[in-house]
Amino acid sequence: MKIEMFHLCPYRDLPEDFREQHHSVWVDVPRHLFDGEIANRTYNQTLDELKYAAEVGYDGICVNEHHQNAYGLMPSPNIMAAAMSRETEDVAIIVMGNSIALYDPPIRVAEEFAMLDCISGGRLVAGFPVGSAMDTAFGYGVNPATLREKYAEAEELILRAWEEDDVFAFDGKYTQLRYVNLWPRPLQKPRPPIWVPGAGSIETWNTCIEKGHLYAYLSYSGFKRGKQVMDGFWKVARAAGVDNPYHAGFLQLVCVADNEQELHDKYAAHTEYFFNKMLHIYPGFADPPGYRTIDTIRAGLMAQTTSFGRAGQEESTFDELRDAGNVVAGTPGQVADQLEQVINDLRIGHLMILNQFGSIPHDLAKENIRRTAQEVVPKLRHLWPEYEDHWWPQNAVVRDNIGAMPE
Amino acid sequence: MNERAIPVRNGRFEVDLLEGGSGDPLLFLHGVSGLEWTPLLERLSVGHTVIAPRTPGFGESTGTENLDDIHDLVFFYLDLLDQLGLHEIPLVGHSLGGMFAAELAATQPDRFSHVTLVSPFGLWDEANPVADLFSMALPDLARAMYANEKSEAAVAVATAPQARMTEVDPETETGQATIKYLVDRAKSMSTAAKYLWPIPNRGLAKRLHRVRQPGLVIWGECDGIVPPVYAEHFAAQITNATVHIVPDAAHMVVDEQPQIVAGLIDRLLSR
Repeated sequence: MKIEMFHLCPYRDLPEDFREQHHSVWVDVPRHLFDGEIANRTYNQTLDELKYAAEVGYDGICVNEHHQNAYGLMPSPNIMAAAMSRETEDVAIIVMGNSIALYDPPIRVAEEFAMLDCISGGRLVAGFPVGSAMDTAFGYGVNPATLREKYAEAEELILRAWEEDDVFAFDGKYTQLRYVNLWPRPLQKPRPPIWVPGAGSIETWNTCIEKGHLYAYLSYSGFKRGKQVMDGFWKVARAAGVDNPYHAGFLQLVCVADNEQELHDKYAAHTEYFFNKMLHIYPGFADPPGYRTIDTIRAGLMAQTTSFGRAGQEESTFDELRDAGNVVAGTPGQVADQLEQVINDLRIGHLMILNQFGSIPHDLAKENIRRTAQEVVPKLRHLWPEYEDHWWPQNAVVRDNIGAMPE
Repeated sequence: MNERAIPVRNGRFEVDLLEGGSGDPLLFLHGVSGLEWTPLLERLSVGHTVIAPRTPGFGESTGTENLDDIHDLVFFYLDLLDQLGLHEIPLVGHSLGGMFAAELAATQPDRFSHVTLVSPFGLWDEANPVADLFSMALPDLARAMYANEKSEAAVAVATAPQARMTEVDPETETGQATIKYLVDRAKSMSTAAKYLWPIPNRGLAKRLHRVRQPGLVIWGECDGIVPPVYAEHFAAQITNATVHIVPDAAHMVVDEQPQIVAGLIDRLLSR
């Protein structure tokens, strides 16, 4: 079992009445709320927290890409990953990832990932997200109805650019290049492992199974909803003869304390900040026509599931969020037990943990990172010993069964 | 009125065609909300054979996957008109269909005897932006489309089901009807997005001067989707067109004031 720490690099200082006063945390979030001094602090604390997660025993550190929002301040996660490639020695550098449909030409992504792989010495995971509607359709103006086709073409180009030995010409619908000849090329051969973050589209399951990419279900609806999605993934996977849990990953918010009182005192307000402010997304930006395919819409309706966009809903409290499984909170023993159940129920070989989320301040984030890495993670590493992880960077550390590093 | 499906380009498209009335043919191109045999078409069919194709991607018309951009769409329509043997006909286009009509008339001016554009998309004025209809909440959309937000049609738009928040029971007939509605709407809106996303400007301003037939530019005074100021932008380039701003109407002026719109078209065609 591999356990990685995921960081969203959120803006931690939105006003108390953000939800009441403002339309959306994404796309048209007012720019007057942005303070460069706060961002300076936020970026540097985030980099410190990522580095600290590597030091205290996580297997990998994850960053991701978002645009025009206060939810996650990393339009270029590659910049963070470049810093981490230098600041860490052995952990996997997991970029979750670059929205490959947004780059023209997409070999820009092939080049930057190759640089990161070379700088880090072969520790890169290349994430290829389709990207949220807010980021892609509204932030970057891509027609949601062509996004997936553009994504597929970009993926084909990037993989060929990494893997083919000779200069080639690429005549695509969205990209035409007379000469494709990548310098640098990735250090890992033939290429870094590819992880695909998804939010429940059935097409993504099929793609991951067909192409052998890792499927990472990233949502904040918690493990109870996550089970529905992962059951769908495993149904498709098993039909294709795939059952290796390392083929799949899942994201979970986690906080650790010694007792209930301490949990509430330390984490309740910050968790509520995350769910009530960071996910205050105007629904019209979350699901434009064509973003979800007809098959996904039909399947969703047939299954009577509803999600997408929380704006306009009631505010949630810490206790409600724990009950619903949106956040796993407790003593180290309680958290380990609950996560083990999540890992087994969802059948995942990679668990991505958010220890800093919402407005959790730097010192508390570090405490949560340390306690999770040292008191929870070692209790989970023994899982799935009978399977091999084919989705781990060739030169990243393997700590399965080793336990936590000393303080 | 008669409805039939006809294959175009060796069956790559299968297009619904509504036809009704008698007399010389008149081509009508529908808008973003789709095609129905409305009171306007019924009224125009007195004295004309109204021919109204349903654009691929809307309803049961197939082949939208063969169309990537406005140029593909124009040549699709030219193929359809060749196949139907339609030449020197009056053309009426509303909303998205108004944009198509302007593009068609600019591409083959001799094909059309008269051109009527009703609240067309196709131009962009940064000071008066076209509404972002793809992200609007349904009650806002209803107010932008209709002058009277209490009208039956406006209420239907405001309260339509939405895929992301509608609970349906697929075991029931109503549930199946809702699923069909939502799937149809997703298809037609993503088809519209090909021509309108993220800004409804595909370079028409560079071609619009080629539209030189006698024509009309008709706008609902309260149009909250494409503001009425665009009527002047169109008329500035289409020199043989006259502008008519219709009161008590918005983007759906074709449905809100069908008698007025039909009367204007009748007068144009009798010139």
